[in-house]
Amino acid sequence: MLSKRAGLWLGLIATLGLLSLGSSCSKTEVKDGGEPETGTAYASKGDEGTISGTIAYTGTAPENPKIDTSADAQCTSKNPNLTAETWAVKDNKVANTFVYIKDGTLADGKKIGDFTGWPNMPTGATLDQNGCHYKPHVLGVVAKEEINITNSDPTTHNIHFTPAKNPDWNQSQPNGAQALKHTLNAAEVMVPVKCNQHPWMKAYIGVMKHPFFAVSDETGKFTISGVPPGKYTVVAWHEGAAGPGTEKTMEVTVPAKGSATADFSFGASASLQGQPSSLPMLAAIEFPVLGKH
Amino acid sequence: MSKGVHRFALLVAVATFFLIIAGANVTSHDAGLAVPDWPLSFGKFFPQMVGNVFWEHGHRMIAATVGLLTIVLALYLQLREPRRWIKRLGWVALGLVIVQGLLGGLTVKLLLPLWVSAAHATLAQVFFLTTVSIAVFTSRSWTNAESKIFEADNGVSPRTLCVASLVLILVQLVLGATLRHSATWDQLLPTGLLVAHITGAIIVTLALGVTAMAVLLRHRDNKFLRRPAIVALSLLFVQLMLGIAAYITRARSPFGPQPLNPMIAVTVAHVACGALVFAATILLTLRVFRVLRIEKSTVGVLATA
Repeated sequence: MLSKRAGLWLGLIATLGLLSLGSSCSKTEVKDGGEPETGTAYASKGDEGTISGTIAYTGTAPENPKIDTSADAQCTSKNPNLTAETWAVKDNKVANTFVYIKDGTLADGKKIGDFTGWPNMPTGATLDQNGCHYKPHVLGVVAKEEINITNSDPTTHNIHFTPAKNPDWNQSQPNGAQALKHTLNAAEVMVPVKCNQHPWMKAYIGVMKHPFFAVSDETGKFTISGVPPGKYTVVAWHEGAAGPGTEKTMEVTVPAKGSATADFSFGASASLQGQPSSLPMLAAIEFPVLGKH
Repeated sequence: MSKGVHRFALLVAVATFFLIIAGANVTSHDAGLAVPDWPLSFGKFFPQMVGNVFWEHGHRMIAATVGLLTIVLALYLQLREPRRWIKRLGWVALGLVIVQGLLGGLTVKLLLPLWVSAAHATLAQVFFLTTVSIAVFTSRSWTNAESKIFEADNGVSPRTLCVASLVLILVQLVLGATLRHSATWDQLLPTGLLVAHITGAIIVTLALGVTAMAVLLRHRDNKFLRRPAIVALSLLFVQLMLGIAAYITRARSPFGPQPLNPMIAVTVAHVACGALVFAATILLTLRVFRVLRIEKSTVGVLATA
């Protein structure tokens, strides 16, 4: 039979395992990823302007491949022609591009990051699962804004936020269940959202400290309003074909009560930009090569 | 010596191999968090097996079966196995499968942290090593192999080579497990780990190649040693081909709309074949230790009884 020493080791291993599991399950204090708020609220002077523009696609937009939903008959039945949503391009205009003010200086010399409060901050956003994909595909919120997550599908989903600065979050939501509520406390561009039950389901959430962001619509247009006069760095983010996305940057000046234009374009090269470093593939023959080319 | 014990140990080893394949499928399908709770699945023993729940809950079912089989094996060994050290090995296997189950739960609860997932994948191979070893020790070929082969003490012995190969394969398995769990199908693999795994493949190929060739050249007439050496070499070749195919399909994966079947099939086969290379090397190592003796005072192979 088991010797005393072997039994002791076995007991120790099992106890340590149980203790570590128990400690993980009873974890009550979770880092929220938020930053301490220091600064003042911006008071509107009535001279705010807008930044607007269009997102274009240079060249022929790639076709989004069809999704194989056969793993879940409910998805196939509800959305038989589901395709990937990487490139939502119509007439060479790109939807689902997140445009935001990254940095800038107001006309009075104050930095945009100095302010902690702004007029007309959005108070709630909705992320729906409908037809086994997320709607909207790209969403913008301000930090600590409540996100209502709904399931309009006749199947169960799990909503899995995989941020870098905010805590991970994974919740199951059966069909017909009540809306889930979640907030992201730290500013982050972008927070990927997936569903591990249906791995093609993806959404991206841009979390900002201020309300100066927009998502391009089906015509590629966007408008950011209520922007104080000043000089700003505007960024357009698109998910691209792989990796964490591609960003394009532009400097704009917003005049008092005026508007600035920020037109961006993405193209075939965008699909290969913004990737984390890895062994690149030589596209023509798809053979691995060491080193950059 | 009970034939039944050996057959049952073999069953546990084969079931463990299928469990490794099931686990590899969970990773390749990105199904690790398809079921967010543990130990139950959505609060049930058997949920609806739709989407990736099929892979995650299926893995849990096979794991539970292997756990139960291991309990039975440990008890069976206590009842029918005369050798005390093998009885103890039965308890070690049981301890390992318990820790492995807890690591599986932990990785779900903690939302797949890299170190827990990689430890879970590595411990799977260590547990497989243990079940294969029990199957070897309880086999008739093991107990009947009393003849000793004496080798001269002139250079690195196959014993040393076998142990070195085994350790290097284990390190390579850890690297592979860490690489697989460091990026999901829609992310590119990190360069550093990828280069380390490729370098590891070259080192393991050299080490196991030299080991198996040394055994084959010195003991080609001995079936007991020749067979595992040939099997290990053949599996190593297949594993290298699968490794290249896995890299090519995995590198394209982030550009696809979902985990695609060629990538899933090839990466799972690469994991499975890696386990088989490990098992074949364990068999070769144990057999070399069983029959090979070093004769310090003589030159050349003295006798093959």
